[in-house]
Formats: sequence, structure tokens, C-alpha cells
Amino acid sequence: MDTAPLAELAQPIPKAQGFFMFKRLKVEDYLVATLWIAVAVYGSVISDYSASTAAFYILNVPMALGLAMLWGIAGVLSFGQVAFFGLAGYTYGIIAGNIVSNLALASVAGVVGGLAAALVLALVFGYFLFYGRVEAWIVPIVTLVMTLILATFMGQTAGYEWKVGQVLLGGYNGMTNIPPMHVWGVDLFGRPLFYYVLAVVVVAWLLTVVCLRSSFGDVLVALREDSLRTELFGHDVRLMQLLCFSVAAILAGVSGVLYVQWGNYITPDSMGLLQATLPVVWVAVGGRTSLLGVVISTLALNVLSFQLSSSGNQYAFVILGALLVVAMVVPTFGWSQRVAAVFGRRG
Amino acid sequence: MESVLSVLYQFGTNAAFLLLSAIGLIVILGMMNIINLAHGELMMIGAYVASFLYHSGVPFAACVVASFLALALAGVVLERLLIRRFYGRELQALVVTWGVSLILAQGMLLLFGPFLASIPIPFGSGAVGAFSFSWYWIALIAISLLLVAGLWFLYYRTAFGLRARATMQEREMARALGVRTGRVYMLTFALGSGLAGLAGALMAPTTTIAPYMGQQYVAPAFITVVTGGSANVIAGALGSTGFLSLAETPFTIWFGTFIGIVAMLLASLVLIRLLPKGLSEWIQRRWLS
Repeated sequence: MDTAPLAELAQPIPKAQGFFMFKRLKVEDYLVATLWIAVAVYGSVISDYSASTAAFYILNVPMALGLAMLWGIAGVLSFGQVAFFGLAGYTYGIIAGNIVSNLALASVAGVVGGLAAALVLALVFGYFLFYGRVEAWIVPIVTLVMTLILATFMGQTAGYEWKVGQVLLGGYNGMTNIPPMHVWGVDLFGRPLFYYVLAVVVVAWLLTVVCLRSSFGDVLVALREDSLRTELFGHDVRLMQLLCFSVAAILAGVSGVLYVQWGNYITPDSMGLLQATLPVVWVAVGGRTSLLGVVISTLALNVLSFQLSSSGNQYAFVILGALLVVAMVVPTFGWSQRVAAVFGRRG
Repeated sequence: MESVLSVLYQFGTNAAFLLLSAIGLIVILGMMNIINLAHGELMMIGAYVASFLYHSGVPFAACVVASFLALALAGVVLERLLIRRFYGRELQALVVTWGVSLILAQGMLLLFGPFLASIPIPFGSGAVGAFSFSWYWIALIAISLLLVAGLWFLYYRTAFGLRARATMQEREMARALGVRTGRVYMLTFALGSGLAGLAGALMAPTTTIAPYMGQQYVAPAFITVVTGGSANVIAGALGSTGFLSLAETPFTIWFGTFIGIVAMLLASLVLIRLLPKGLSEWIQRRWLS
């Protein structure tokens, strides 16, 4: 009898390939890189005031990229990205507002603290969700409830009893006078702020690219397509989902910190039901799996909602809701993949 | 004596609130594994229908029934237009219904403005010693129990219920045996939407009627369905509302409503860590099979 197959089966399963074996970049990655160069050039020709507005348009990109990775690539939908956004923003405000003696240290400690807070929240919730192996629909529901509860909590923190060190949490009116980013002895405003935000956004994008164009990204795709099969290949699906959830939370936290450094205030509304919709709309309209699509749709929709809301237009959320429905119903919504295909075969 | 009654009353109102907010969701989830995120907005429209009718002189009980019928009809339209495209794709369905909820809430704001005339609470209040209560909430507790009994009758004593349970259990086989599963899905979605309208109308006297009123039911209703799971509608509804009000009531009494909701969320997180498929699956495995 031929015993070779059994002998082969008896071999230990080869360890899954190196965790961060880097693969080729895709065409769309070069396109996004080109887009960043264009944005940088654009920032140098516009006025100081417009540069500040432009900083607002791009600062949400990390949050959207995180959700694209989580939902589009790994197939785990979260409605709670704004909770990480808001938590990181508030934490930055509390930490940076309390270190008044050293402004540079205050900004750095605020950034680190804000991202750490988002990470801890993600680890706690992610543990219960992913290690419980809950059904797919539970994750978005629980993260949404988490967001609403956080928003409700921050909403009732009005008054002087809600004071952390020297910083008032501020209830529904929000936290004000949050210190801006401070480096080399200057506070960042206007054009310098724009380039700082752009640099951080590009780093966040690079982090996403490194995650997705590696064997880690392949595992994420595999567990979206068939998590049982992925598990039988020797991957710890629960850990991978938790890691992906944490990276997405940190990326949302990056956006949150950038937001408070840009606007110097934050309100509980930034974690409300309406805000929670926005990242989902950006990613859905961007086609979910394509970083190029998500970056472009995030920029475009941020410009659109900024214009609509600054002109006092009440139809903003009707339009966003309709976009969400259309993006889900129209089956061939992979417009960004086609754009990339025009520029060359996808890698 | 009075304090015992007061705690029981608090427990009953909490459970009735959860049950009414979530029952429509639970019905839809159990059948098609779809969460309807526009549920709160359907409740809001139910309250709007009730308010319009009430202020044109219709008795309140008739308003509630009319809300049920109106929203069941709306549910049919929603299912035919959108939801039927998403069976088996639950995450996409979640996102689509969220889009619908935005359109409905903001659309209502644009159409009818920020407030609508409220409905006075019927029946007045009663008292036992120092403990006072609202007869309307007692009625709501009774109505929610009646609703569960009615659903039990529908699922276990009617031909529709048999087909529905068969579809839930094994869709392909049910279809092979002649059940028109598409119609079962449509009717279930209509029933779930109708129940949302009914709940919205019943809750209308206890709250302000406004376009974004649906939001206040979002957290409690979703925690309830997450805890209950999708295995069995009746067991899920009773089990999760009972469990969550047990967790919520002491915290509400000692620390207020908000901490009560936090306690519910934490309790449900711990529960799904232990029973990932929810309480209903556990109850079914333990006692019903």
C-alpha cells in the first residue's frame, strides 16, 4: 500500500508564512501616492485660510482607511469608528490641556495618550466580540451602541464637577480651547498645520498599505471569504480580527487627534448617530475594497458636506442616506477598480 | 411592601419598554437574520401616524391599530424595493437600512418640522400607600405580554407560523416542499415593521414626538436583540428582556437611567462572550428540545 499520503499528512503543518512578508504594491497605490503629491502641490498655491479648510478635508482619511481595511478587506463591519475618533480627541484634550508647562511635551503626550485610549477601548470590546466568535451582524450593532453610550456619557458631563485636572469636559457644549499641535516652539495653524496633517495622513495611509500588501492582508481577505477554512490553515482568526479592529481603531484615533488639533474643540455630537454614519458612507461610496476609491470618496464627500453644512443646507443627511442606499444597491459599484485598471493591470 | 411593589413596577416598565422597542426587530432577525437599522425611524413614523389621527379626533386605541397597519404596509414597500435584494448579505442589509433611516428621519424633519403635537397619557395614575404608578405603564406591561402570547399563537398555532418556522429552519427544504419563502419573508418583514409602528404609537404618549425620537430606542432595542439572538423569537424576546431588566433595574434605581443602560450593555457583552448565539439558542437547547 502506498503510505506516502499519510506520511505527508503526518508532517507538522508548515508555520504560516512570515507575518509581514511584503508583497508587491498595486497600481492603485501608485495612483494614491500621485494624489498625495498633487494635494501637497495644491496646498502650496492656495491661501493660508483655504489651506486650513483643506486640512479638514483630508484629516478624516485615516478613519476611512481603517474602516476600509476592517469592512472591505476583513469583512468585519463597525459602526463605531467615531467612538475611537471621539475618545482619542477627548483624551488628547485632557492630557494636552493639563500639561501647560511644556507645550511640545503636551502635544506629544496628548497624541500618544489619545491613540492609547482608542487602542484600549478597541482591545476590550474586540476581545468580547471576536473571542466570543459572535455572528457577523453583532459587531456593527454592539459598536454602534458603544458609540451612542459614549456620546450620551460625554453629553451629561456639563458643570464644574466634571473637571479632569484643569480641563472641563463641557457636556453638550463640548470641550473647548484644546491646545493645537506644538512643535519647535510654534503652534501649528494655517499652511503649516495643513502640511502636518498631510504628513500624518500619508503615514497612516502607508501603515494601511503595509498591512494590506503583506501576508497579513492576505489572511484578512481569506477570513472574509471563508473564516473556517482560514482557521483550518492554521491562522488564529480571532487574533487576526482583533488586530485588524485595533489598527482600524488607532487610525480612527489619528483622525480624532488631528480633528481636535485642527479645530481646538470637540463635542459629543462627534460621536452621535449622524456622525457614525459618515465613515460608513465614505467607505461604501468608495467601493470598500479599494484604497484609491476610499481616499477619493472621503475627500469628495468631506468637501461636499462641508459646503452643504456651511451653506446651512438641511438636505445633507438625506443626500448621504441616499448615497448609502445607492452604493449598496447598485451591484457594480467598483468604479475605483476600473479607474485603476485604466492605468494598468492590477498587481 | 411599597418598596417591593416599586421595584417590581420598575422592573416591569423596564422590561415592557425593552420588549416593545425590540419586538419588531426580533421578529425580522429571527426569520431572515437581518437587522433593520431603520427600526427606530419606523417607530417614529408610527408615533407620527398616531399623533395625526389622535388630533383629528380618532380614539387612541384605533390610532394604535392604524399605526400597525400603516407601518405594515410601509414594510411591504420597503421589503419589495430594497430588503429582498439583500437576503444572505446581512452586513449590506444593515448599511442599506441605515441609509433608509437617515432619509426617513431627516425627511420627516424637513416635511413636518422639529416637533409634533404630543398625546396626553391615558388612564391617569394610581397609588398603593406611598407608591404611586401610572396605569398606562401597567397597561403597556399587559400589552407586551399579550403581544408575546399573540406571537406564540401566530408561530405555533397557524399555517403561516408553520411555514415561517420551516423557512427559518431550512429555507431550501421548505421551498422544495412548496412554501413560498419569498412571501414568508415579505409578510415577516411587514409584521416586524407593523410591530415597530404599534410600539411607536404605544410609546408616543410617554415621550416627545420628534423626527429623531427613534434614536432613543436604538441602544436599548439593539442590546436586546444582541442578547436574545436569532434562534427562537419567543424565547429571545422573553429571555433577553427579562435578563436585561434584571441587570438594569438595580442600577437605574441607584444611579439613574444612563448607568442602567451602561449596565445593560456590559451585561450583554459578558453574555455574548459566554453564549455567542444569544440567550434564545441556549434556552432552546436547554429546555425546548
